Amino acid sequence: MADVTLQAPGRSPHYTKPQRIEVNGLPVAYRRKGERRGEGPPTVFLHGAGTTQLWLPFYERMAAAVDFVAPEHPGFGGTPLPDWVEGFDDLVLHYRDLLDAFAFDQVHLIGFSLGGWIAAELGVFYPERLASLTLITPVGLRVPGHPLPDLFRMPPENIPELLYNGRAQDYPDFLLDPHDVEAVVQGYTEASTFARLAWNPRHDRKLARRLGRIRCRALVVEPDEDQLVPRQHFEAWVELLPDARLERVRGAAHPTGHGLIVQEPDQAAALITRFIQEQEAGS
Amino acid sequence: MTSTLEFYLINFMPYPYIPPGEDVESSWIVLSNQHYDPRIGHRLYQHYLETNVLAERLGFDGVLTNEHHQTAYGTMPNPNLPAAWVAAQTERIRIGVMGNVLNTHLNPLRVAEDIAMLDVMSGGRIISGFVLGTGMEYHSYGINPATSRERFWEAHDLIMKAWTEPGPFPWEGKHFNLPYVNPWPRPLQQPHPPVWLPGVSSLETIEAAARNRYTFMQVFSPRTALARACAMYREAAERHGYTPHPNQLAATLQIYVAETDKQARLEAEPHLMWFMRNGLKTPTYHLLPPGYTSTRSLRGILSSGSHGAVDMWDMTFDQLLEEKWALVGSPETVIAGLQEFTDELGAGRVVLCGDWGAMPRWMVHKNMEMLAEEVIPHFRPPDGKPVWAREERPAPHTLSEHAATVGKPKTAPLVRLDGVGLIDSTTAHVPELRTPVKP
Repeated sequence: MADVTLQAPGRSPHYTKPQRIEVNGLPVAYRRKGERRGEGPPTVFLHGAGTTQLWLPFYERMAAAVDFVAPEHPGFGGTPLPDWVEGFDDLVLHYRDLLDAFAFDQVHLIGFSLGGWIAAELGVFYPERLASLTLITPVGLRVPGHPLPDLFRMPPENIPELLYNGRAQDYPDFLLDPHDVEAVVQGYTEASTFARLAWNPRHDRKLARRLGRIRCRALVVEPDEDQLVPRQHFEAWVELLPDARLERVRGAAHPTGHGLIVQEPDQAAALITRFIQEQEAGS
Repeated sequence: MTSTLEFYLINFMPYPYIPPGEDVESSWIVLSNQHYDPRIGHRLYQHYLETNVLAERLGFDGVLTNEHHQTAYGTMPNPNLPAAWVAAQTERIRIGVMGNVLNTHLNPLRVAEDIAMLDVMSGGRIISGFVLGTGMEYHSYGINPATSRERFWEAHDLIMKAWTEPGPFPWEGKHFNLPYVNPWPRPLQQPHPPVWLPGVSSLETIEAAARNRYTFMQVFSPRTALARACAMYREAAERHGYTPHPNQLAATLQIYVAETDKQARLEAEPHLMWFMRNGLKTPTYHLLPPGYTSTRSLRGILSSGSHGAVDMWDMTFDQLLEEKWALVGSPETVIAGLQEFTDELGAGRVVLCGDWGAMPRWMVHKNMEMLAEEVIPHFRPPDGKPVWAREERPAPHTLSEHAATVGKPKTAPLVRLDGVGLIDSTTAHVPELRTPVKP
């Protein structure tokens, strides 16, 4: 195991202590609260390359409607990084094992950003385990001519601005404090896991062809203006997934960006729970 | 009593005709190569390469080449090419390759081959550096920084085994898989060329260098960092049950000598500042890509609060002198400073830059000549000889020495000629000698 003894950010009012579940020997940190716990339709949320260790307002809204489980990826938040995690194939097997560990036969799978990439890979290899797939501002596709900006070679202070379209100051509770050594170390550790997975290549060239294997209905969620994922990527996801529709979460006061679940938690949760309930009603 | 000190001249071949550091994000990775004029580049290469020949004539102990990618700081992406040039143009001086950045190679066998070739070509004069490379190399080459250290050490293990164990053998690793490891040539120096590990105080690198009894070369840094690295090396060596020789420690120090302290400063200041503010201009997020450094090292960097590599381009010339990154002055000043350097660090080798980037040719030569004439002899035995003049070269210089000491190859190149039999092809052009060696 790598040396990821992460400290809790603590300072955010949204911090909660995680629960743990043993997944094939790996102690996975996860969060699961709300009145639907153990009862509503099982829904697994895969986070992006950050915003870990928190119980987000978006999660709280989701948990009112579904049985909402938010595990942390190996090498993120409170889940250690085992040395066998080298690529997305390892994560696909890991998340299949996690579904087994929770005894979820089928789940509504939601992936945000990097989590969207992982969710799509899981759906490609184990389509029978998905009741529905929701991809919020996902990365991972190669769309020729429309590469993403290089997150790995960017002044760190620019990244929040890019996620929230220049309004990072509105969301201090969701950002790591750059003056807090442990917070910076945590951010660097998670970025290192992200690099391990996606430094080169920064997409899965084969994903475009393989997305056709996903059988369930899919929802792709876009913001008003994503400064990280070019518009053409959203169009490509919807075109390549066999049964997908595109919905936008609009900003009430300002245009939403890549971090739309933080910016508009009510609207995002309402949209996604409606989609999940439609699938439940239909099946 | 002065201690002995070996002097190594490093050239990294900067291309100085770029905008000032304050006007660019970085002189690395993204500074457009449209600033580079290859006709100017040709002249610069000639200039830099010739200083290596001069270094031998002046009596430096060794010259070092360097490896960086996609940067005006150093236009030497392949350290083995200039080493080959120097090997051809010199006779005896040691040639250190600092490179190779092992992770820029898809197959480390190529490094084993290149260094072995250089060693054989040069008559056994090569020092082989193995370098992790800067963070910028990982951006420029698309290599994953998150696996940089494990991949580096696997490459190292493969190269060392390729040099020291009989081939062919298979290599089944995590990063490399080769059914046949069997490089021709093998290195001339036995069991292998001396290995140096250049680094920036990295705990892991220093520990590994001490364990393997390699020379650790601390790159350009302030005296406190040099002293810490040297102390760490000695502690690690003691843990491995031995007291290291001073030659196992090489430390980088920028040195400029002129007639007086005042004159030395006048000549050195603009050039050292070009090196610091323009050549080294690159932001922290270039230096430390994710996974490049361990969380333990990162905590150290963040909590020390001192400037390390992080804001080198903000330093003033006086700070550089005070913190002893550089030693600039009259011969007396430089002799005293070097004495203090070796006393304080216990290092037996000093590495200095031939040219900080924009120095006129005469200035590079003046500094080298004044060093050779006024400074270096103070750190040598009374005969003033460089290290290579007191040791035999592994390969003799002349054919007569070769014939007397090495003799003929153990195996004659036998070939079967139809109607004759198995003959010795080196003599079979003489009718009387075109006879079967075996029926």
